[in-house]
Amino acid sequence: MAHIVLDKVTKSYAGGVTAVDAVDLEIRDGELMVLLGPSGCGKSTTLRMIAGLETISSGDLYIDGERVNEKDPRDRDLAIVFQNYALYPHMNVARNLGFGLKLRRVPPAEIERRVQETARMLGIEALLKRRPAQLSGGQRQRVALGRALVRQPRGFLLDEPLSNLDAQLRTTMRLELIKLHRQLGATIIHVTHDQLEAMTMGERICIMDGGKVVQVGPPADVYRNPASLFVAGFLASPPMNLLPAAVVGSDGGGLAVRVGATTLPLPEEYLQAYAGCRDRSVVLGVRPEDLHEAAPALPQITVAANAVEMVGPEVILVGTPEGLETEASARLSRAFRAEPGDRISLGVDMRQIHLFDPATGLAVPRPDLGFEPHRR
Amino acid sequence: MIKRAGPHFILILFSASLLLPLLWVLRTSLTNKVSAYRIPPEWTEPIADNYIAIFTDQPFGTFFLNSLIVAVGSTAIALPLATMLAYAFCRFNTGGMPLRLTVLASQMLPPVILVLPLFSIFLTVGLINNHLGLMLAHVTINLPFLAWMLISFFEGDARIVEEAARVEGATRLQAFLFVAVPMAAPGIVAAGLLGLILSWNEFLYALVLSGKATATLPIGLSALETHRGVEIAMLAAATMFSITPVFVLLPFLKRYLIKGLALGAVK
Repeated sequence: MAHIVLDKVTKSYAGGVTAVDAVDLEIRDGELMVLLGPSGCGKSTTLRMIAGLETISSGDLYIDGERVNEKDPRDRDLAIVFQNYALYPHMNVARNLGFGLKLRRVPPAEIERRVQETARMLGIEALLKRRPAQLSGGQRQRVALGRALVRQPRGFLLDEPLSNLDAQLRTTMRLELIKLHRQLGATIIHVTHDQLEAMTMGERICIMDGGKVVQVGPPADVYRNPASLFVAGFLASPPMNLLPAAVVGSDGGGLAVRVGATTLPLPEEYLQAYAGCRDRSVVLGVRPEDLHEAAPALPQITVAANAVEMVGPEVILVGTPEGLETEASARLSRAFRAEPGDRISLGVDMRQIHLFDPATGLAVPRPDLGFEPHRR
Repeated sequence: MIKRAGPHFILILFSASLLLPLLWVLRTSLTNKVSAYRIPPEWTEPIADNYIAIFTDQPFGTFFLNSLIVAVGSTAIALPLATMLAYAFCRFNTGGMPLRLTVLASQMLPPVILVLPLFSIFLTVGLINNHLGLMLAHVTINLPFLAWMLISFFEGDARIVEEAARVEGATRLQAFLFVAVPMAAPGIVAAGLLGLILSWNEFLYALVLSGKATATLPIGLSALETHRGVEIAMLAAATMFSITPVFVLLPFLKRYLIKGLALGAVK
């Protein structure tokens, strides 16, 4: 299996466009790494450079310690699965699966055996004689996956493989990919723009924006401690509320955040970390699930309800906090009811808030208290 | 029904303008020289004499064979070259837009400008009145058309499928031969048919570059306009005979063109 290292890998095009800008990233042996970012962030280009389908403008790419910048794609021993499957339309499924083995001069009997075995693993034995045009999207995706698996390469590159599937199938395939990864212990790099897919699949997530790596870490870490406004606003749906605020001193030598007409005291644990922000404007980040209705023990913020969305397990309240223009959303219990225009008092779990520097967009570092139930 | 009358009327007029001359030729080919010119036309019993005469009095068998050799030969040379040229334009952007336009621009000159230098060159190297010479001349006409036609068949999904093949273990050449070419096959077949038809109907190059032994059907047809007048009935029969292969090929051309367009649906 493969250990892949990117050292200041850059892709720039004639005309001065830099698609990938000095990316440093290490994908450990057997790891499932997700490259996450909006379209045009350079994640697919990064993947294609690893595959050898794009030249690397500068920087170095190492697979298992060997520099492979100039190596032909066929000599890198990786497999790739594309968003639109890219099956060979003129070959049946069996030949699609065996094509790579045939190119590598594997004996026909061995090809036959491995094709059968892979088809069994993916449940596509019945389709072996069919052509791609006769398959559904989900079946094609399995064949594309099978084509990657059958060769037993040292690493898998998945370029948005689930994006063309419908929502239900996507969930199934997502679980199946996780299972496959556990089963094979293979190194997988999975590119996606779907933050939910990234959160559920990745052992680590690498978030990219504008060709640069913004944050790398396990999903829970990235979720709990977003490094920047971009990450905070990109992960989760609805994403973290980002409200203009200022840090002010409070009675008794403490600190508080003033957001619109509300002043929220900062917890003691954060006083040291946020001392430098005193009397400066900041962006306050609060996740929608850290706003609670009927929580009198928490500092309160009043919002004017704009919309109340019932989504099943919960109710999303979208409202404007007093004295602000910016909207905020809160994930409340499914029993919550309100009408647009109602003024609602919400408790803010101040132990879970983040402060960002509006000039740099970066989070102000603070101790991580972990997730604990808030005190009602 | 009333609503459709307008379009139908226009289409009927249009079809008539295409079909009537053809039917006229057919009718003429089945009559004799005297009744062919009679106005108003009179009904005569159809006769096959003209169709026999073009093979007995005239060497239309040889013309046909010459046309076949030149059309098949020139297409056999032009098609692989055009396929590779289109591929290179598509994948490597060889020469950029200037080269693509240059290739096409050669076809924008009146052929008569090119045929004289070609004649002079062929005379030097001994390719006048020679099948190979005419084949090469027709390649110069076919190649740019076929290449342009094929470019679109290498674009789109084929590119990604080829990339998949290259990661799978294919060299550039293997990806071209085993993936790009089969995927573009309908287009290549259509281009081949177009090449055959273009060469089959070509007149000017054949007139200048061929001789008695290598004259093609269009030359044979023109030879029926003699100084003693036009052998109109025989000309009509020869014309019907010449266009028959094209009529046979056209439906295939249409089918493969459509198949080629529909095959793009890999997603």
